[in-house]
Amino acid sequence: MVSLMETRSAKELSEIPVDPSAVRRPARATMSPGQLAGRFWRARWFVVLRAFAVFIALWWGVSAWVSSPIQMPTPAKVFDAFLGLASSGELFQHIWISTQRLLVALVVATTIAVPLGFFMALNREANAFIDPLVELLRPISGIAWIPLGLFIFGVGGTLPVFIMAYVAFFPLLLNTVDGVKGIDRKLLAAAETMGVSRRARLTHIAVPAALPSVMVGFRIAFASAWAAIIAAELIGSPSGLGFAIEWYRQLLMSPKVFAFIMTIGAVGYLCDLGLRALQRKLTPWAEGTGIGQ
Amino acid sequence: MTVATMPTSQKPKLRLQNVTKEFVAKRTGQKTLAVSDFSLDVRPGEFLCVVGPSGCGKSTVLNMIAGLDQPTEGSIVMDGQLVTRPGAERGVMFQDYALFPWKSVRDNVGFGLKHGTPGNGLSPVERRERVDHFVKMVGLEAAATKYPHQLSGGMRQRVALARLLANGPEVLLMDEPLGALDAQTRMVLQVELLRIWGEAADHGERKTVVFITHGIDEAVFLADRVVVMSSHPGRVSAVIDIDIPRPRTEHIRSEPRFGQLTDEIWSLIRDEAYQAIA
Amino acid sequence: MTTATHRFSITSLPPAVKAVTLPILLILAWQAWTLTLPENSPAPAPAKVVASFLALTASGDLIWSTLQSLGRVIAGFAIAMVCGISLGVLMGSSKAVRENLDPIVESFRPIAPMAILPIAILWFGTGTPAALTIVAYAAFFPLLVNTVYGVSRVDRQLVRAAQTMGIGRLRTVLAVIVPAAVPSVLLGSRLAMGVAWTAIIAAELAVGAKSGSGGSGGIGNMMFIFYAYSVDLNGIVVCMIVVGVIALLIDRLFRAAETRLLPWRT
Ligand SMILES: Nc1ncnc2c1ncn2[C@@H]1O[C@H](COP(=O)(O)OP(=O)(O)O)[C@@H](O)[C@H]1O
Ligand SMILES: [Mg+2]
Repeated sequence: MVSLMETRSAKELSEIPVDPSAVRRPARATMSPGQLAGRFWRARWFVVLRAFAVFIALWWGVSAWVSSPIQMPTPAKVFDAFLGLASSGELFQHIWISTQRLLVALVVATTIAVPLGFFMALNREANAFIDPLVELLRPISGIAWIPLGLFIFGVGGTLPVFIMAYVAFFPLLLNTVDGVKGIDRKLLAAAETMGVSRRARLTHIAVPAALPSVMVGFRIAFASAWAAIIAAELIGSPSGLGFAIEWYRQLLMSPKVFAFIMTIGAVGYLCDLGLRALQRKLTPWAEGTGIGQ
Repeated sequence: MTVATMPTSQKPKLRLQNVTKEFVAKRTGQKTLAVSDFSLDVRPGEFLCVVGPSGCGKSTVLNMIAGLDQPTEGSIVMDGQLVTRPGAERGVMFQDYALFPWKSVRDNVGFGLKHGTPGNGLSPVERRERVDHFVKMVGLEAAATKYPHQLSGGMRQRVALARLLANGPEVLLMDEPLGALDAQTRMVLQVELLRIWGEAADHGERKTVVFITHGIDEAVFLADRVVVMSSHPGRVSAVIDIDIPRPRTEHIRSEPRFGQLTDEIWSLIRDEAYQAIA
Repeated sequence: MTTATHRFSITSLPPAVKAVTLPILLILAWQAWTLTLPENSPAPAPAKVVASFLALTASGDLIWSTLQSLGRVIAGFAIAMVCGISLGVLMGSSKAVRENLDPIVESFRPIAPMAILPIAILWFGTGTPAALTIVAYAAFFPLLVNTVYGVSRVDRQLVRAAQTMGIGRLRTVLAVIVPAAVPSVLLGSRLAMGVAWTAIIAAELAVGAKSGSGGSGGIGNMMFIFYAYSVDLNGIVVCMIVVGVIALLIDRLFRAAETRLLPWRT
């Protein structure tokens, strides 16, 4: 998961840590029983399982110690609530609503930001005019648009989509610009000496060369949007995951609040996993270049 | 010629006896035999070069002498004492110099004096004088306050050398210290290195040097003896005496003896070198 | 045929003029649009925004609210820094600790700070402690992740070099590992401060919206009051601009600190 932060340029991205889980493990060789036991103890899935077991045990201990089902429900209660929400379909209903909004917002942001990014990167004049405006708007976080957005769109589904599209726009744009600008000039020159047409240079060199950076921008855009939707729905929407946590908080039904919070984390995690797989599929050559992760 | 033991009654500075190193990858359990049954005596005050194809285990041997890695089998003894861990009496100059990027040239040179055992018993003034001395020796007074990233490759190499010498080690372990430089700078620094080592001085005043290189002509130019290694696993395949008199100048490169020795060593490595790229 | 020596061309404009062209055009268009609206329309207009800014500044409300939000951000950030950096150093320097805590950290990271708000309210009510929790939670992850990265990625060769100079273990940590990790920690701090500032606005906004009453102050809360009570869109726009300016200042401040504290980097 690219962490939950606002826009970052690709230059900063190169400073961002490689996700440890993105690193592939080498294949295993045959080994002795003693080694096998040790390997088992260190196996990734086992470490993860053990970590969660310890975490849940700690949670249980704390909830027993706090002994206030409203402030700290036990894992069992939360699990029950989770099953209840899942079997009634309410859970999936909210997931569906939120992800639908997310999808719309990402499509809107991508269709505007990526072509604009190409345009700005390839046209220096346009860049000189547009870039300052972008830099002026960028520091205003999506959250700060919520009150004004509430006035314009009212309470409903449009506000979260607007906020998310706004939040997703900047990382997509900046990473596209950086990706296109970062194209190795020698590649373009080489293509020109081979008599490759201008159009083919764009589709076969500029687009693939910029794609890794665009994909990174897309993952950041997703992470930022996913963080923003919770705020937007919590404040200004009658539905969705962000709404649900606050709704059940007001009803003091803590197990459901916890269940929804865990759902928010799980959906965010799974989406990023999917995006990472997509990234590997679309830009397999970007692995190990530092910007692929 | 393969006799690696002492011809004289002189005691060795370093004695490597049947040293073997096997790496075991933690996750996969895969084993690599990097060095096998490596025996060698290094005489006090000699300039010893180690050449061999890339990946033959040169760095591994050096790291074991430094005490950074432990041999799987065999022993390394310095002045009669078993080497078990790193110590300032065995200074290392790494291939990529390992300069501290957040320290200026002066502070890099004085790093060991400030934080490590080489500074024990020295007053701050003495330390500063010592740093000054070595900065001056490598000709970096003008760049003394610069940071490593502001220096050229050749200048970084000099900082690393000054740092190595400032710590006052008895044995200098150098892992392809000139490897990253262009050919001209390399040749200039080879001459300078010999000057600083004290080529003109009495044998007893010189430091013992173990110098790794993949440049055969570099080894012949610098060394008293050249150890030729073969790979898979790394072993000593020959030890060659370089009987070119010191002090050496640029002129010896064009002498017939220089060419003979270079050819001789090349003929020992050639087959493996061709195999490696085939 | 004669060629005009001073033919006008957009490309020949100085960069500064190019930079302000679009923003000025947009503001003019916005002002022109509001002139077509009836007098009592609540729509914000550039002239009214300026007036509102002056009035809010004169009354001290704007400055006080900004300071309140900033105070919370700094306090929350400080908490995150203590937790994030100490845990980060621990995880970065010990592979065992890192491998065991990683799954937990990675599970919490995709949970948006605002999702924690209902729990924070359940625990601490709608006052400053709840807001601090959100800020600290938001700032914690960039700090932690970058510290872990910085510490675990210290050039091993530098540590080995220190060993060959007879430098002890503790001294190696202090003289090699800590300075080597500083750039990452500073980067993490800058990113963390950025998200913390966003988080405090969100928290104050939401706390204001959900507590029903006036809430507990801060610029986010001020925006909510403008929205829900006084219906003052000009005031909201003023707040938005202030939020943006502060974000920019924070970013510049941390970048300046990076260049000042790390003169040894390119
Ligand atoms: N830490 C290590 N783990 C596993 N294998 C290693 C390690 N270090 C070196 N090797 C292997 O040992 C062999 C010798 O490496 P090295 O001593 O670096 O060679 P050289 O310095 O002569 O190029 C190589 O095959 C290398 O892959
Ligand atoms: Mg090597």
